[in-house]
Amino acid sequence: MTALNSTQVSAEMARLRARARRRMLLSRVFTYLVGILIAIWVLAPLWFIASMALTTPETVRSYPKSVLPFIPFSFETMRFFLQSRGIVPGVINSVLVAVITLILSTLIAAPAGYATSRYIFRGRDAFRLSILAVRAFPVVILSIPLAVTFINLGIFDQVYSLALMHTALTLPTTVLVIGSVFASIPYELEEAAQVFGCTPAQAFRRVVLPLVLPGIAAAAIFTFVMSWNEVFAATVLTVQNRTLPAQVLVSLQQSPEPYKFAGGFFMLLPSVIFIFVIRKYLFNMWGQITK
Amino acid sequence: MSEIKIENVTKRFGSFTAVNNVSLTITDHEFMVLLGPSGCGKTTLLRAVAGLGMADEGRISIGGKDVTYLPPRERRISMVFQSYAIFPHMNVFDNIAFGLTMQKLPRAEIQTRVRQAAELLHIEQMLDRYPSKMSGGQRQRVAVARAIAMQSQVLLMDEPLSNLDALLRLEMRAELKRLLAELGATTIYVTHDQIEAMSMGDRIAVMRDGIIEQVNTPTTVYDYPANQFIGGFIGTPPMNFLMGQVQRRDGSVVVQLGDHSVAPKPEMASLLAGYDGKPIILGIRAESMETLASPAGDALMACVLVVEPLGSQNLLTVAFGAHRIKVSTHPSFETRADADVWLRFPADKIRWIDPEAKRTLYPK
Amino acid sequence: MTDAAIALTKTKPRPRRQWAPYLLILPSLLYLAVFFAWPMTRAIRLAVWDETALLTLRQEAAAGSAAAGVLPQGAAVSLLDRRSNLAAEADLSGASLTETWFFVQGLDPGGNAVAGWAPESRIRVRTTDAAGAAIGGTVRPKLGAGADPLTSLYSEPNEGSAIAGKLEGSAAVSIGEQAVLEVWFLIEGEGEGERISGWAPSRVLQVYGDGVSGRIDRGDTGQLTRAYIQRMLNDRFFRPAFYTTLLLIVLIIPVQFALAIIMALVIQARLKFNTLFLAIFAIPLAASDLAVGILWYAIFTQSGYLNSILQALGLIAAPNAFLTADTRYWILIAIWLAEVWRATSIVMVIVVSGLQAISQEVLEAAEVFGATLWQRLRHVILPLLKPSLQVALILRTILALQVFAVVIALSGGDVVTVLANETYRQYYTLRNMNVAAAYAGFILLISMFSAIIYLRMVRSSEEASA
Repeated sequence: MTALNSTQVSAEMARLRARARRRMLLSRVFTYLVGILIAIWVLAPLWFIASMALTTPETVRSYPKSVLPFIPFSFETMRFFLQSRGIVPGVINSVLVAVITLILSTLIAAPAGYATSRYIFRGRDAFRLSILAVRAFPVVILSIPLAVTFINLGIFDQVYSLALMHTALTLPTTVLVIGSVFASIPYELEEAAQVFGCTPAQAFRRVVLPLVLPGIAAAAIFTFVMSWNEVFAATVLTVQNRTLPAQVLVSLQQSPEPYKFAGGFFMLLPSVIFIFVIRKYLFNMWGQITK
Repeated sequence: MSEIKIENVTKRFGSFTAVNNVSLTITDHEFMVLLGPSGCGKTTLLRAVAGLGMADEGRISIGGKDVTYLPPRERRISMVFQSYAIFPHMNVFDNIAFGLTMQKLPRAEIQTRVRQAAELLHIEQMLDRYPSKMSGGQRQRVAVARAIAMQSQVLLMDEPLSNLDALLRLEMRAELKRLLAELGATTIYVTHDQIEAMSMGDRIAVMRDGIIEQVNTPTTVYDYPANQFIGGFIGTPPMNFLMGQVQRRDGSVVVQLGDHSVAPKPEMASLLAGYDGKPIILGIRAESMETLASPAGDALMACVLVVEPLGSQNLLTVAFGAHRIKVSTHPSFETRADADVWLRFPADKIRWIDPEAKRTLYPK
Repeated sequence: MTDAAIALTKTKPRPRRQWAPYLLILPSLLYLAVFFAWPMTRAIRLAVWDETALLTLRQEAAAGSAAAGVLPQGAAVSLLDRRSNLAAEADLSGASLTETWFFVQGLDPGGNAVAGWAPESRIRVRTTDAAGAAIGGTVRPKLGAGADPLTSLYSEPNEGSAIAGKLEGSAAVSIGEQAVLEVWFLIEGEGEGERISGWAPSRVLQVYGDGVSGRIDRGDTGQLTRAYIQRMLNDRFFRPAFYTTLLLIVLIIPVQFALAIIMALVIQARLKFNTLFLAIFAIPLAASDLAVGILWYAIFTQSGYLNSILQALGLIAAPNAFLTADTRYWILIAIWLAEVWRATSIVMVIVVSGLQAISQEVLEAAEVFGATLWQRLRHVILPLLKPSLQVALILRTILALQVFAVVIALSGGDVVTVLANETYRQYYTLRNMNVAAAYAGFILLISMFSAIIYLRMVRSSEEASA
C-alpha cells in the first residue's frame, strides 16, 4: 500500500516536473524566437544595402537580385559613388561641420551638464525641462530664418555657419548626456579629494575628469553622429558647400541606383559603428531623463 | 494544514551553489527564522519556497501539496519583501487589495479584507495615500497589510525590518511578533540580525554557505551552538574561543590554557580524554565568566585592555597570554585599562569544540 | 545666554547664494537664445508678418518729411506730379527711376565761363576717362519753337534751384562730378475708404506705360498678415501633406510602441545573448532618415529585394512597380516600414531604461500576489512605464512630424508628400520662405498641440508617478 502510494507520488511528481520544464523551455524558446525575428527585421535591410554597395554596378542594376550578398564582391559601386561630383567635398564638409559641432557643443554643454547634476539650484528643473523641450522642437522651423539671417550677415553657405546651426540642434542632447555622465560619479568622490587636500578645481581635474572622460567622449561621438546625419538644415543652409547628406539628397532624383545605394551605405556605416560603441551611455541618459 | 516541507533542495547560479541539498520542515503555524550572514543562501531558499526562481533539485511541498514546479501564484502564499515592493502607482488601498483583485474576489469582500488588514496595522487612515508620500515605517506597514490581506496559510518574509531605523525596528519587531502569533500562519522569516531571530522565532535555522548548520529553539541555539561558527555568529558579543591543550593528569582530564588549567565537567571528561595531548577549543560567552577584582585560587589572571561601559553591563576586553577575550561584568564592577582582573570559568558554561571539525562536543 | 546668542541660534543660516550653477548653464542658455529662441520667433514672424504691407506717403518729396497717410501694398494709384530728388546710394534699388545730373563748365553765348548743374538729358557725353566716367561732352540742341533755345545750368542738381548760367546748344563742356537723383511721384490712391495723396519714391512704385497710373509695389512698414498662411492653406499640396502626415503618425506610433515594448521585454527576459540582442536592436538609432529611405528604396524599387524574393518564392511572375504614382498605398507602406524600422530603437531605449528603473522586487511582488503575465503587464509594468512612455510618445510624434528625407527617397517628394517635405519644397524649390515659414509654424503648432494632449491624457495619474 505504502509502496504503491509512493510510486504514485513520484509518478505525479515526474509528470509535474516534466510539465514545468516543458513550460519553461517553451517560454524560453518563444522569447528567443521573438528576439531572433526582431533581430532579423533589423539586420536584413542592412544586409541588403551592404550587399548592394559592395558589388559591381552591373549587379546592382540586375534583376532578380541574389539574396546572397557580395557576389561578386567589388568596390566598383563605392568607387563610382565616391568619384561622383560633389561627394568627396561633401564628405570633407560633413566631417568639418560635425567636428566643429562636436567641439562647440561639448564645450558649451559640459558646464551645463555639470551644473544640472551637481548643484541643486532654483530653476534647475525648469532648465532641464526646457532643454528637453528644445530637443523636441521641429528643426525645420529654425533653418529658414537662420538662412535669411546668414544671408544678411554674409555667412550663408559656409561650413562653420552650418555648424552653428547644428550645435543648436545637438546642444540639448549633449547637455542631457553629459549631465547623466556626471550624475553617475558620486559627489562624495570630489568631497573626499577635497578632504585629502585638493582644491575644488584640483579635485575636479584629478578625480572627476578621468572618470567622466569616456562618457564625455561618448557624448561627443553622439553629437558627431547627429550632425553627420542631419539633412534638412544642411540642405537649406548650403548651396556650394554641401555636406554629404545634402549633396546626396539634392542629386537623388537624377541619380542611378548604384549611386543611391552606395550613398545610403556610406552614410549609414560610420553612424552605426559609432552608436554601437556608445550605446551604453544612451541608456544611461534616458534612465536619467525619465526618472 | 500548511506544513512546509523542503527536501534536498539545491539551487545553483552558474557554478555557484547558493543552496546545497537543504532539507527543512516547518510545522503548521510555526514561526521559522532563517538566520545567516549575507550570501549564505537564506534568501535564495526563501525565494525557492515562494517560487521566484525554481529549485534545481529537490522538492518543496506546502500543506502536503508538491509545489516545486508551480509558479508563485499557484502556491497560495504571501510575502513581505525587503524593499517592501509597494506598487508606487497605486494608493494604499489598491496596494493592499492587489492580490485579492488578481484573484477576482467580489468587490465587497475585498473592501472588508483590506479594511481589516489596514486596521490591524493602524493604517486605516491612509488608504487614499500614495507610497511616495509615506515614510519607510508606513510603507512597511502597507507591505505587511498587503501580505496579511491575502489570508494565506503561508507567509514569507524577506528581511522585512532591515530597511527601518533602529528605534522603529525595535517597535515593529514586537508588533509583528504579536500580529503573526494572532494570525497563526506558517511563517518563514529571513534575517541576518541574530537579535531579531532570537526574539521572534519559534525556531531558528542557522545557515552558512548554502547549508543549514543548526535548527532549534532560540535558547538552545544560543546555549548549545552546534559548532564554532554558530557560537561566534549568535550573541553580542560573540562567544570567546580559546585554544587549549588536553592533558591527562592523575587519572583526571584537564585542559591547559597557558599556565592555567581548566577542569571540564565530569560528563565531558571522558569525551575529552580521547583528545589527550591534542589541542582543543574552549568556548565561553562573555556573560558566563565570573570576574574578580582580586586573586583567587582557581581564577586566571588577565590584564584589562579596554573598558566599555554599556549601561546595563561593562564590557571588558582582557588579555592573557596571546588570547584576547570579551568579558561582561556587572556595571558596578570597577576596573580600568591596564588593571588586572581574575576570571573564573564555570565548568557547565564551557563548550568544547573540536579544532578540526569545528563541531561542539556534547556528551551522548 | 545673551540675547545676541539666542538670536544667532534661532536664525537659520541663510543658504549661501550660489552663482556657480548659473554661470555654468549661462553659455548654453545664451547659445540657445541666439540660435534657437531667436530664430524661432523670426520664423513665426516670417509666417505672419508682411514686411512690406504698407507705404507711408510723405507731404514733401523728401524721405524725412512728415507723413501724409498710408496706402496698402498693391493699391492702384494715379501719378499727379513728379520731382527728382537727391538720393542716397543705398536707397536705389533696381526698380527706381533715376536721373543723373552733371556738374558742367563751359562758355555761355556771351563768351563768359559758366559752371553749374544740368540733367543728363541735356548733355551728350563725348569723352570718358579710363574708368568710364564722363569727362567731356556737348550740350544737346533744343528742338521745337517757342522754347528757350538756351540750356539752363542750375546752382544745385535740382530744377527748382537758382539758375547759374545758360549755354547754347552744341556748346562743348567739361564734366565734373555727377549726382544721381531719384524720381519721386505725388500719388493719390484709395486707402481705408478715403482718398489719400502724398509723395513716394519711384522705387516703391510700379509705373504703368501711360505714365499717369501705377500701383504700390512694396511698402516700408510691416503689418500682420494672413496672406502667407492663406497661401499655404490654398496650396494644392497642403491637404495631402497634412493628411499623409497624420496618417503616418497614426500608423507608425502604435506599431512602434508595441514593437518597442516587445523588444524591451525580450531584453528583460535576460536571455543568454542579451547584450547582443540589445546591440542589434539599437542599431537603427544611428541611421539618418535619408539613408534609411534609400535602404528601403533598395527593397521596394522595381528591381529590388522585395520583388526578387517574391519571384524566387514563385509568388509573382514579373516584378511589380511599387513606387509609382499609381501605387500610392505601396509608397505609404514603404514609408511606414522604413519609419518603424528606423525610429523604434529610440522608443526601445527609453522603454528599456524605464523598465530597468522598476524595482525587481515590485515585479516579483506582483507575481507572488497572483498576477499572471498579462495582469502584470497591464496592472504593474505599463502603469510604471507611463512616464517613460509619455516622454517617448511626445518625442516620437514630434520627430515623426519632421520626417521628410525618407519620403523624398521613396516617393521623390511628389506622389506622397508630408508637411516637412512641403516646407522644404516651398523654401528650396519655390524659393518662398514666407510660405515655408508658415508650413514650419504649422508643424510647430501640431507638435505643441499633440504634446499638450499627451500630457493631459496622463495628468489624472500624475500623483502616482511623483
